[in-house]
Amino acid sequence: MEESNWEPKVIGFLCHWCSYAGADLSGSARLEYPHNIRIIRIPCSGRVDPMFILRALQNGVDGVLVSGCHPGDCHYQSGNFHARRKFAVINRLLKYVGIEPERVQFSWVAASEGPKMAQVIGEFVEGVRKVGPNRLFKDEKKDGE
Amino acid sequence: MENRLKEEAGKLLKEGKVDYIVGYGKGTVNLRTSPLITNKEEDLEGLVINPFIANNLSRYPVELKGRVGIVVKGCDSRSLTSLMQDKKVKREDLIIFGVPCEGVVDLKKLAGQIGAEIDRVTDAEKEGENLTLQVDGSKKTIPFRDVIFDKCYGCEHPTPLEYDMLLGSEVAPNLDIEKSLERIKELEGMDAQERWNYWKEQFSKCIRCYGCRNVCPACFCERCFVDVNMPQWVATYATWQDNLTFQLIRTLHVAGRCSDCGECERACPVGIPLRSLQRKMVEEVKDLFGHEVGIDKDAPPVFSHYEATDPDEFMK
Ligand code: SF4
Ligand code: SF4
Ligand code: SF4
Ligand code: FES
Repeated sequence: MEESNWEPKVIGFLCHWCSYAGADLSGSARLEYPHNIRIIRIPCSGRVDPMFILRALQNGVDGVLVSGCHPGDCHYQSGNFHARRKFAVINRLLKYVGIEPERVQFSWVAASEGPKMAQVIGEFVEGVRKVGPNRLFKDEKKDGE
Repeated sequence: MENRLKEEAGKLLKEGKVDYIVGYGKGTVNLRTSPLITNKEEDLEGLVINPFIANNLSRYPVELKGRVGIVVKGCDSRSLTSLMQDKKVKREDLIIFGVPCEGVVDLKKLAGQIGAEIDRVTDAEKEGENLTLQVDGSKKTIPFRDVIFDKCYGCEHPTPLEYDMLLGSEVAPNLDIEKSLERIKELEGMDAQERWNYWKEQFSKCIRCYGCRNVCPACFCERCFVDVNMPQWVATYATWQDNLTFQLIRTLHVAGRCSDCGECERACPVGIPLRSLQRKMVEEVKDLFGHEVGIDKDAPPVFSHYEATDPDEFMK
C-alpha cells in the first residue's frame, strides 16, 4: 500500500462485561469512533495473555488496545487487578526493548461509558497514526526483492 | 568448608534424612565445576566448593522425587525460596547447605584477562583479593573483582537467606549496583529504534536450543508455551522474530521469580546478553510492586497477588 494512503489497523481486546458493551453503547448512541479498530471480545481483562499482544504485533497490526472493567468492577472480582500487574510489567518490558509506547495501550472503560470508549479508541488510533506503520517485525528487503 | 560439607552430607545420606545430595563436583575441563547429584555416599568425596561453582542448582529438587540436601549460594537460595512460594518444592523436604559467596568467576572474563583459553589454566586459588593462577606452568595473579560475573557486583544477599547449615561466615553485600547494571544503562541510553535493532540483531543469532529455559529455575512448566501446538504461539524453528517473541514471553513468565542468577546468559551458546532483559525486569518488579525475589518464603508469588493501590498511571 502506498505510504500516503496508509491507515492504521489496530486490535482491541475488550472485556465482554464492560468495554465491549461500552463500544456497543457508543455505537447505538451514534458516537463516532475510527473504524481502524478490529474488536475482539474477551471474557475478562484477566484473560489477556502477553502472547496475544506480541503475536498481534508480530503479525503486523499497528497497535493493540486492551480494555477492561474499572478496578473494583470486574465481573470475576479480581481478574482486572491481577491483569493490571501483568499489564504494568508488559508495558515496561515492551518499552525497554524499543516498542513505541503508543502501540500498546491499556484502559478501564465501563459498560456505561460509551463516550469514553469512543474517546479512548480515537486517541489511541491517533497515537498509532503518529508513530506510523508497524515495521517492528518486518525483515529488511533484500536486493532484488 | 568442603570437608565439613562432605561429612555432613555423608551423615544425611547414612541416616536416611535425605534421598539425594545435590552439590558441585569437578567439571571435565580445568576450573569448571558441574552439578554432582547422587544418592551414594562414596560419590561425596567429589564434592567441591570454590570460586567456580557457577550453576544454580535450585531447579534439581523440583525434578528429584524425595528429600534433598542441596548446596546453594546467595542468589541460588533466593531461587529456591521463590520455588517454595510457587509450591514447587517444600521447605521440609530440603536440607540446605548455604555457601556465603564472595562472587563467582566468569570464565569468559577470565579467559579475556589472561589472553588464553581456560584449559591452559591448571590451577586457580583465591588468595585474599586476588586469584592466583597457573597458566602454562607459570604463575599469574589477577584481581578477583575483575573476573567475577556482572551480577555479583550488585549482589545484595551473598549469604543465603534460607539455610540449615551455613558453610563459613557471613559475607557482606556487594553494593556496586551501578557496575552490575552497566549494560542495562547503556541500552537505556539508546533511542527506541536503536534498542529494537539491538535485540533484533542479538536474536538473529538464537538457535532456539532452549538452554536458557532449561537451565532456569523459574522456568518450571511441565509444558512450555513454545511446545504447545494448539495454538502454536511461536514457530518451532529459529527466525529472529519468533526467537525474540519467545524470549520476551519467557522474560514475562519469569518476572517476579528471577533472582538474577544469570544462568540463562551463561547457558546461551551464542552469547546473547539475556541478563540485560532478566535483570531489567528484576528492577521493574521491585519498582512497581516493591517485590524482591526470594526473600520471604511465606509471601504469595507476586503475580498471584495484587494490591488495590497497585500502579495505575499507565492505564487510560
Ligand atoms: S531468567 Fe536467567 S537469571 Fe533469571 S532465574 Fe532464570 S536463569 Fe536465572
Ligand atoms: S518460558 Fe514460560 S512457559 Fe516456558 S518454561 Fe519458562 S515459564 Fe514456562
Ligand atoms: S540459550 Fe540462547 S540460543 Fe538457546 S534458545 Fe536461549 S537465547 Fe536462544
Ligand atoms: S470482567 Fe471485565 S475486567 Fe474482569
